[in-house]
Amino acid sequence: MTLNSTRYILRETFNSMKRNPWLSMASVLTVMVSLVILGFSVFFLANASNMAKSFESQVEIATFVQNGTNISERDKLQAKIQDMPGVESVTLVTKEQALTDLGKTMGGSESDILADLGGTNPLLDKFTVKAMNPQEVIALADAVKALPEVDKVRYGSGFVDKLLKFTQWLRWIGLGVVAAFGFAAIVLISINVKMNVFSRRREIQIMKLVGASNSFVRWPFLLEGMALGLVGGAIAAVIVGMGYNWITITVQSSLTFLPVVQNATLFHQVTVGLLLAGMAMGTMGSGFSLQKFLKA
Amino acid sequence: MIHLTNVSKIYQNGARALIDVNLRIGKGDFVFLVGPSGAGKSTLIKLFYRDEIPTRGQVIINGKNLVRMKEREVPYLRRNIGVIFQDFKLMSNKTVSENVAFALEVIGVSSKEVKIRTRTTLELVGLKNKENAYPHELSGGEQQRVCVARAIINNPALLIADEPTGNLDPETAWGIMELLYNINKRGTTVVMATHAKAIVNKMQRRVIAIENGRVARDEEKGGYGYDA
Repeated sequence: MTLNSTRYILRETFNSMKRNPWLSMASVLTVMVSLVILGFSVFFLANASNMAKSFESQVEIATFVQNGTNISERDKLQAKIQDMPGVESVTLVTKEQALTDLGKTMGGSESDILADLGGTNPLLDKFTVKAMNPQEVIALADAVKALPEVDKVRYGSGFVDKLLKFTQWLRWIGLGVVAAFGFAAIVLISINVKMNVFSRRREIQIMKLVGASNSFVRWPFLLEGMALGLVGGAIAAVIVGMGYNWITITVQSSLTFLPVVQNATLFHQVTVGLLLAGMAMGTMGSGFSLQKFLKA
Repeated sequence: MIHLTNVSKIYQNGARALIDVNLRIGKGDFVFLVGPSGAGKSTLIKLFYRDEIPTRGQVIINGKNLVRMKEREVPYLRRNIGVIFQDFKLMSNKTVSENVAFALEVIGVSSKEVKIRTRTTLELVGLKNKENAYPHELSGGEQQRVCVARAIINNPALLIADEPTGNLDPETAWGIMELLYNINKRGTTVVMATHAKAIVNKMQRRVIAIENGRVARDEEKGGYGYDA
């Protein structure tokens, strides 16, 4: 490719976009809409899995210590549980603390409760055990329960089963949405590019009859696809970026209980990803569609 | 320049366009291809710039075997052959001068030279003031002349014309013939398929008549030979 040809190709790329403004705009819009949807679906996935994680992290095993265990035995038990594989943290809640908490919820003072209970504290010392992997809560609870100093464990067995199923579904749906919209984006963009190339097949045929090599015909199309894809991707990145920012702020101020992902790395990855995806789809789409017409 | 041996062309649909054609056209010749519509003239012409490949036989252009030629060599063959197409084949989204210049752009001529040569060639075919028009804004005759300009702009060794005067009034037609005559005088081989009886009879050049896919007549300094 000589310098003169390169100049021609660049000029040709620019002219072609200028002379087919509607076609160019349609391409940009197709890329943009597809990628906006895809971008939001990626954030949806991130939030779905984040939500699943935060639900799961709230699962804990309440481990009640046998009545009559003394303090040193209790501390040893804490160390023992802490050393078990898969345990993230063990926090002690003494029976005195538990009584105070109970008193607070009942709206009276600790001494009132104690008096009501006949002067003895019937509560047990408790360890709050958190598992590293919430999916292993049930196995861990069984292991803790098997320890001799442990009276009983509580982790809401029926609830945890359902929760884990739910969070697993949440993740699959998030992934499914991304996959579906990713596929839709590819189909939409490739149809658009095909139409673009098809509408110019006569021009391509003429170029070849006059002695243009395949690469001479191909380059302006590739560059045009790249440029239009880049513009579409850039607009999509801006819309998704600003849109997600707005959603985050709104949700955080009104639906405070919902955990929203605010991750700068993810944010950059998604916006840059959209930009690159637009460019790649535009370029490759043009390349593949052209191939058919260049062979003839 | 052109050498065909035992060339037959049968299309996918079974139509036998050419049957056992043997032909030799020398460098610098001026040849008319005549014959009824559908006799195989266009197919024959398409073999020359490898728009079609024969079903049997060999096509040799300028020493190159077109049957064995690789796909990527084809552009280089075509850059040395100017073709005036029956249907003009102009790019509708490009202006007149861009269409003509394209033949130079593909061979990587500098934009300065492209500009100069395009202007000179457009002047030669009488389209100097239409350079910024688009093909659809031109009359049939004007479009034909754009096609002529594009075919001759890089001084090809072989010029192929498929009914180049078909859409022209007699005066413009003679203008085109004069152009082809001059180009031929500079050493370019010209092969022209035509139905223009008056032109063929007046020019007194070699005439090859194609009928039913075969060479029916081949005369030096011949006449049109059909009543039409």
